Amino acid sequence: MTSILRSIQLLSVLLLLSSGILAAQTENQPAASPPSAPSGQQSQEQKPPQNNLPNAPSSSRKEPSLSDLGFSSSQTQADPKLQALLDKRTHMLKVHQRMGLITTIPLIAAIFSSAGAGGKNTGSASRDLHVALGAAAGDLYGITAYYAIRAPKPPGTPTKGPIKFHKAMAWIHGPGMIMTPILGAMAFSQKNNGEKVHGIAQAHMPVAIVTAGAFGAALLSVSVKF
Amino acid sequence: MLRKQLLSLLLLALPCYAADSQWVLTNSTLTYHVSHPLHQTDGVSHAARGKGVCHDGQCDFLIATPVKSFESGDTNRDLHMIQVVRGAEFPMVVVRTHLPESAAGSTTIRADLQIEFAGQTVQYKQVAFQLEMHGNEAKLSGTIPATLSDFKIAPPSLLTLPVKNDVPIRVEMTWKSQ
Repeated sequence: MTSILRSIQLLSVLLLLSSGILAAQTENQPAASPPSAPSGQQSQEQKPPQNNLPNAPSSSRKEPSLSDLGFSSSQTQADPKLQALLDKRTHMLKVHQRMGLITTIPLIAAIFSSAGAGGKNTGSASRDLHVALGAAAGDLYGITAYYAIRAPKPPGTPTKGPIKFHKAMAWIHGPGMIMTPILGAMAFSQKNNGEKVHGIAQAHMPVAIVTAGAFGAALLSVSVKF
Repeated sequence: MLRKQLLSLLLLALPCYAADSQWVLTNSTLTYHVSHPLHQTDGVSHAARGKGVCHDGQCDFLIATPVKSFESGDTNRDLHMIQVVRGAEFPMVVVRTHLPESAAGSTTIRADLQIEFAGQTVQYKQVAFQLEMHGNEAKLSGTIPATLSDFKIAPPSLLTLPVKNDVPIRVEMTWKSQ
């Protein structure tokens, strides 16, 4: 009698357990998914449905979520203000880049025209041309510099890479672009008065060469990989 | 006697309930490559986190990394990259995939990837990855053939020359089974 009772108890336990296992398996049964498609891509706007990939995770299973990965909310949340700042920065630096390239034209032309501007040449035409080219280069340089200086930068961003050299060069060509026209004006005045260029005005050409060299190096540092 | 039988039955039944297993991403190197006539650039991120949940022989994987975690060695370029891919608006790159648990036994796996990036969701199908198992660790490596146009990203340009549309992403990851 006792053994029969035990058998009944055992059977009921078995039935209970097996029904539990079956229920658990039915709950976790993955949803039917279509067969895998051949390779290729499809693009959609953000906020994607997560189960449209042929063998993408099924919604009936407990998929891992972004919150499971432990990223902080500051890392995962959108920051429209930062995006706007970056957009403005990119726009300004694009203008900086374009203006910098344009500046090289009158700058190179001014260097070449300097051959006829100095020396024993008594005519003023070539000197005037040199002045005009130098002034154009100076003005364009000013605009180029403005867009670089005024471009916003996210706070706390370090400066690394070739841009460091590019910025360092600005400490040479920046003062050079101020000094060169001042010294040039002095030399121009002395020459127009029939005097030989003397004093600090003599430094016009060396300063201009160093300035143009630093400008060229700055341009190349962000254009060509060394 | 009955207690012993019950206990053994329960012990036998336990694995049926505890069939779920998990994978955790322990180490990763994600590298995007950008080609320009004057530059070849690689941006690297080691900040990816990932989790895989397996049940009934099927595993769902989620991998994510912040867009700003990619570094190319030039902070100016990195800021420009974040701007171009709208990384402040969509700060995470999220990859989802689904694999059979049996894939752990192969040396090459082909995964269908769903990538959320730059405000777009793109599916790359049958992307090949090399798999090496070392105990409970799995080392995975492969390249995702991503392009800028897939994510509707306007190619950035330098000196008026745009970068190439192809931006392959090299993936090297180490997963640990838990």
